[in-house]
Amino acid sequence: MSGVGMLFIQPAQDPWRPQVGEFGPTPVPSIAPHSLLTLEQWRAVRDSWPADVPVGVTLANTVDVEDLAADLPRLALVALQFPKWVDGRAYSQARTLRARLRYAGEVRATGDVVVDILPLLARTGFDAVQLRDGQSEASARRALTLVTHFYQGDVREPRPLFSRAFA
Amino acid sequence: MYQYTSFDRQFVRQRAAQFRDQLERNLAGELTDDDFRPLRLQNGWYIQRHAPMLRVAVPYGELSSRQLRQLARIGRELDRGVGHFTTRQNIQYNWIPLPRSADAMDLLADVDMHGIQTSGNCIRNITSDVFAGIAPDEIVDPRPYCEILRQWSSLHPEFAFLPRKFKIAVSGTVEDRAAIAWHDVGLQLLKNESGDVGFKVYVGGGMGRTPVIGTVVNAFVPWQEILVYLEAIVRVYNRFGRRDNAYKARIKILVKAEGQKFIDAVNAEFAKILENDAGGREHIIPVSELERVARNFEMPAGVRPATSGFDPNRTGPAPTAFLRWMERNVHGHKVPGYRAVSLSLKRVGQAPGDVTSSQMEAAATIADRYSLGELRVSHEQNLVLPWVREADLFSVWHAAKEAGFATPNIGLLTDMIACPGGDFCALANARSIPVAASIMERFDDLDSLYDLGELDLHISGCMNSCGHHHTGHIGILGVDKDGAEWYQVSIGGSDGTQLSGQAVPGKVIGPSFSAEEVPDVVEALVDVYRRDRAPGERFIDTARRLGIAPFRTAADAVRHETAALTPAPRTRAVDLAETAEAL
Repeated sequence: MSGVGMLFIQPAQDPWRPQVGEFGPTPVPSIAPHSLLTLEQWRAVRDSWPADVPVGVTLANTVDVEDLAADLPRLALVALQFPKWVDGRAYSQARTLRARLRYAGEVRATGDVVVDILPLLARTGFDAVQLRDGQSEASARRALTLVTHFYQGDVREPRPLFSRAFA
Repeated sequence: MYQYTSFDRQFVRQRAAQFRDQLERNLAGELTDDDFRPLRLQNGWYIQRHAPMLRVAVPYGELSSRQLRQLARIGRELDRGVGHFTTRQNIQYNWIPLPRSADAMDLLADVDMHGIQTSGNCIRNITSDVFAGIAPDEIVDPRPYCEILRQWSSLHPEFAFLPRKFKIAVSGTVEDRAAIAWHDVGLQLLKNESGDVGFKVYVGGGMGRTPVIGTVVNAFVPWQEILVYLEAIVRVYNRFGRRDNAYKARIKILVKAEGQKFIDAVNAEFAKILENDAGGREHIIPVSELERVARNFEMPAGVRPATSGFDPNRTGPAPTAFLRWMERNVHGHKVPGYRAVSLSLKRVGQAPGDVTSSQMEAAATIADRYSLGELRVSHEQNLVLPWVREADLFSVWHAAKEAGFATPNIGLLTDMIACPGGDFCALANARSIPVAASIMERFDDLDSLYDLGELDLHISGCMNSCGHHHTGHIGILGVDKDGAEWYQVSIGGSDGTQLSGQAVPGKVIGPSFSAEEVPDVVEALVDVYRRDRAPGERFIDTARRLGIAPFRTAADAVRHETAALTPAPRTRAVDLAETAEAL
């Protein structure tokens, strides 16, 4: 496994913006490219959102991603959350997005994202990470190289060892 | 036993190197202690009362003499020359300084061992029947399946940070020696009417402060689909298990709260993986893979079946001590002319399950000489020699005696299960070792011990239940009352064996006792049995028939320190046992 295919988000250069007003997320967001909406915002505008304006949603880790099956083709980005990095629910969301729902857009890890979970993120289908402040990108890239082969299949390599090596 | 491939070796080496990288970043200040903690836990490292504790995985309890020698060396060079075998077939060290931890991992990797997922909120080391592959009552040898499960669960990317720890036990015999109903997932191997092999799947068993017996969620999952079925179970748990309260985070709470809805969710998820997921059928185990793994567990080359029917008196009357040892420490075997032999780690002067480095080396030598270099670690914290020729039994007895392993007490009161307790464990409310020692001394007389017959006595130093007090015919639980150590006593628990009956937690017999009272209480309890037993009844039978009342009365009669005290015991709220070797 390597860092190939993992995008490290630099917030200053990141085009994606939430639509937040003085009192939290704008209830009916305006149509602007690279809007990163909450699920509630997206529901408020999805019927009127133009197909050619890139839009993403950010999901709490309690959301059932299968409920979004019909929306996924219109979403360029799904941001999943780690409120604490030891809360592993988003791994199941990411894997379901990729393996079951065939989602092909960006799946981004946000929140309490630390160096040592990079291998888990890469293997469950995340292709972008926004590291927690103070985490070293160099260490994170290295974390992806330390264990290179695994027994069970994952999103990157669906075949377990027994199908790869001994087939 | 399983032989590592070059893949397995590289995997463990890389994991050791990854741990060294994390340790170095921690020591350099880049990785905070808080962030390092969950990482080191998943390699078996936990900060204990005196020093870090290291828990080394012994997958489904199989150990080679070479590995045991290396464990002895680690004990001698990095620890204070002692290890502790646990109820989950693992071994723990208590005195290795953290800066040497990466060195310990390298030494383990040298003999194909590691501490991967022996702690933390992940899928833990798989446990099984200590007599797997040699038991006369075996339906299916569970070890190939255990190994396939070990591989599947090792560094599983989706299930590394579950709501809580997750323990799987597998049994392939009629008799359940793996306490499967007490596990997060219990797997019973069986054959259906057409002779196909599959698993009866129990989910949601566990001990702790809420003892629960597992629920059967599927009566027969074909073996080929077991990894997929487990993926469905663990995914449902990962998504819906509680994370707001660590005491309610085990899967048992989810299963209890949701009941049939949980089972429906698992079955729906299982169907979706197989029908919809890209690669969803990739984890269906091919026959070729089962056969490849199973080849590791074929009968060792040195086994020479012989006519069975060992006569201990064939060269004249055998010593009584040998006959007793034969009766208690020697077990049946599926190969004629062979027996399994328990090396008892329950003796006066050493804590249950403890072994010194010298004793480990002695056991390794005995295994090399008489058991084709193989050993097992039992759930009851003893070692077992799986391949002893009947013709060698007398020699093995002598060798075991010399090394201090021949206490003829397997299955008897002094073959007690006990956690390390407050002497070592930062979680414990009370000490276990001195209580175990006082009971061991009190019941040192073998005639009296034999008269009592089979009796499971289990001691836990706190509610985390590492000493499985819930399943003891007599269970002892350390509790904290106003900063002092007290012991709550229960009667009638069962691990689910035929002897003990259907799995059930014991019933508390009243307010807790002082440490000094405990041996008197145990004696009072067994005196009730001696007095009231019907012919042929064992302690557990009498306890079931009489209920707790007479035991309570007898125990209350020997109170001296606690006679005037009746406040309800309270379990101290402690940081949860991320690492506790509890179920």
